Amino acid sequence: MSKSEIAKREALLEKKYEKTHRPHMRLKAGDIVFSIINYTVFALFTIICIFPFYYLFINTISDNELVRKGLINFVPKGIHFENYIRLLQVNDLFGAFGITIARTILGTLLMVLASAFVGYLVTQKDMWGRSFWYRFLVITMYFNAGIIPWYLNMAMLGLTNTFWAYIIPGIVAPYNIILVKTYIESAIPGELQESASLDGASHMKIFWTIILPLSKPILATIAIFGAVGHWNSFQDSLILMQSAPKLYTLQHRLYIYLNTTSNLSALMSAGSTSGISKSVLDSALNGKVIKYTIAMVTIIPILLVYPFMQRYFEKGIMIGAVKG
Amino acid sequence: MFLAGFLLCRALGEDICEPGGNFCISNNREDERVSKEKISKVVYYPYRIISMLLLVILFFPGLNVARISGLINRSTSLLTTGFSYGNLISNFGRAIKKGWVLESTMRLLNISSLLICVGIIVCAVAACLSLGNRKCKFLGNAISLTGSVLAAVSMGGIWNAYFQIAATTKPSKVEPMFQNFYYIMLVLLVAMVILSAAELITVGKPGKDEKFEMETKFKLFLMFLPFILLTFVFCYLPLWGWRYAFFDYKAGDTLSFDNFVGLKWFGQLIRNKSTTRDIINVMKNTLAMSGLGIATSWMPMAFAIFLSEIKNSRFRRFVQTFTTIPNFISWVLVFAIAFCIFSTDGFISSLMINLGFWSEGKNFLMSGSHTWIKMLLWGLWKGLGWSAIIYIAGISGIDQQLYEAATVDGAGRFQKMWHVTVPGLMPTFYVLLLMAVAGILSNGMDQYLVFENSSNTAQIMVLDLYVYKMGIVKGAIPLSTVVGMLKSVISVTLLYVANTISKVLRGETIV
Repeated sequence: MSKSEIAKREALLEKKYEKTHRPHMRLKAGDIVFSIINYTVFALFTIICIFPFYYLFINTISDNELVRKGLINFVPKGIHFENYIRLLQVNDLFGAFGITIARTILGTLLMVLASAFVGYLVTQKDMWGRSFWYRFLVITMYFNAGIIPWYLNMAMLGLTNTFWAYIIPGIVAPYNIILVKTYIESAIPGELQESASLDGASHMKIFWTIILPLSKPILATIAIFGAVGHWNSFQDSLILMQSAPKLYTLQHRLYIYLNTTSNLSALMSAGSTSGISKSVLDSALNGKVIKYTIAMVTIIPILLVYPFMQRYFEKGIMIGAVKG
Repeated sequence: MFLAGFLLCRALGEDICEPGGNFCISNNREDERVSKEKISKVVYYPYRIISMLLLVILFFPGLNVARISGLINRSTSLLTTGFSYGNLISNFGRAIKKGWVLESTMRLLNISSLLICVGIIVCAVAACLSLGNRKCKFLGNAISLTGSVLAAVSMGGIWNAYFQIAATTKPSKVEPMFQNFYYIMLVLLVAMVILSAAELITVGKPGKDEKFEMETKFKLFLMFLPFILLTFVFCYLPLWGWRYAFFDYKAGDTLSFDNFVGLKWFGQLIRNKSTTRDIINVMKNTLAMSGLGIATSWMPMAFAIFLSEIKNSRFRRFVQTFTTIPNFISWVLVFAIAFCIFSTDGFISSLMINLGFWSEGKNFLMSGSHTWIKMLLWGLWKGLGWSAIIYIAGISGIDQQLYEAATVDGAGRFQKMWHVTVPGLMPTFYVLLLMAVAGILSNGMDQYLVFENSSNTAQIMVLDLYVYKMGIVKGAIPLSTVVGMLKSVISVTLLYVANTISKVLRGETIV
């Protein structure tokens, strides 16, 4: 779905309001009541969705003593950013941050490249056994052996407790392949490929010079979904990295911190003790602030990218819907 | 040669005798070339199969011929033995220090395995090349001959390493062992050598001006092949793990006929009282929470319909943006949010204390009451805005003339919603509903895992979480495999049924 198409939909929506609502220039009482209720309900729901993030944030930047007493409810007081600075001294967290960033970048990159390439290959009608292999790939979306056989399989392949367990299984993503395939078939004219291949371009060359640049919109969409998925992933770290705490993802670390009791000595023994320095100990008498800050650090990247990426998110679900 | 070729082709039912019966006159050079080609074609089948088999063997720890000592990790495959020396000797620190095993032995083992791996990988590449023209084939045969000879010779290195290890002073600690699979592997490799040599002869040298060429269909296939292999390894191979359901297995054991128990674990689901009670409870939770989800599946549609009634597009945009954010944070973060709002010193408690309503904080997360509803509400908080997007897109796709006609007919706001918008969105709703019904057993485990604690565990334990707890945490692998297996089968069946229903009722499939 192109940008113009989305704009067109927006315009249609606007037009619909005009058409449906214009005839009644004088508003009826019922309409006013309806609007008030409607606006209020949506405003409330929106507040419910945003407020927790806001609350979390103001508690991490307010005076720690006030936070401990539970006095920060709506307005931040005694603003400081010490907590974030001190968090950098927690070694475990730093490592988890690195691991998560690495897997997000590498995993997403490989997944996008593979999806683009495979999506392109399955549009090539003269491939040997094309429809069979395509089905072979796509059908895996609808069944899985279950979590235990999956774990045993990863162990058998020697991928448990290695960083590659995060990357390699995610390279082939059938749903994304379908998206790319549909996009190539509908948005990139076949004549373009034909004339290129008449000029003697190989499949690889066509892929790099024609397909890849022209399918940027869809690739951006799947890249963002992939990146969010990697950033949020928790289950693989939990199950596959049982004896490699160094490879825990950020979400897994956060889960561990959240589940340790509120006093800080317990929090320290959850991670490797060396990481948390005395100053952090002093600043966070009740551990609550630390938990909040870690959660905030994990959320911030998503909140930062979100506004820019929103239209890709929505595009993604709509393309999916066309397929469904 | 001629006779063999003739018989082979006869056996394959291929009609190579030309009408004039030229073939039966053996002194025709052209015919000899044709028969050679036929032979090479036939020989290529075992050639490709064996090279692929050998490649697969590399990945199976159970088939690791280099595991010549009990100290080598059970989960080490031949590939790991070859490529990771550190992994290979991870348990040998003491043995090497005390002189039970010489480091040179381990090096020998490592290098032999590495050469075998390289040889086998080369053979696999050659098998791919065999799809090309004569020049590709020739190159492939040459390298596969080299590779298979290399691998076969390197098998000697493992043999040698075994005898060095067997001569250890401390057999009880080092546990020398000889894999019987060694002989099978050796046979396969020797077969590969013979087949490569045979192919090298029958294919013959390519002409000088010949170029590397391959039919497009095979070229495309070979480019696709790595991804097929990845899919196979990560999506199909786990099915092989279902065999654990039929064995009495504990972590670290091997599967053999000794611990084969047939359908014992399936029977245990029904016969063992405490297991049955657990399963019934788990099923109750699973169905209840999925059921609540399905019962509220109209809410995103209502959300979209009412949102589209809002005229102010900036407000609409605002609502849409901020209600979709929760969908993009993980369940762990949702739990962090829940923690900061609902725990003893969270928002609700501190607000109530500050306002003087409560004298001390309450921890809502630690209570076992209304767990199903709470989980439903968290699910809605996270997903409602996002699920609505698909319906919002659907609404903008509804024909405007329908609304105009309805207005002319005097339909009010709600009548238009009910008689125009809702029917327009129904197809999407049906598809999503059927998918939800098909996935009734799969609630996922993240949400329930993060919210689970000692006081709500009985109400929150859904099937996915139960399987995880039983298999990974408690180590009851066979029983949890059985449960997971039944779940997978039922889910696929449900999906099939849903798909059929959709086909019958609406004339189109959902998957």
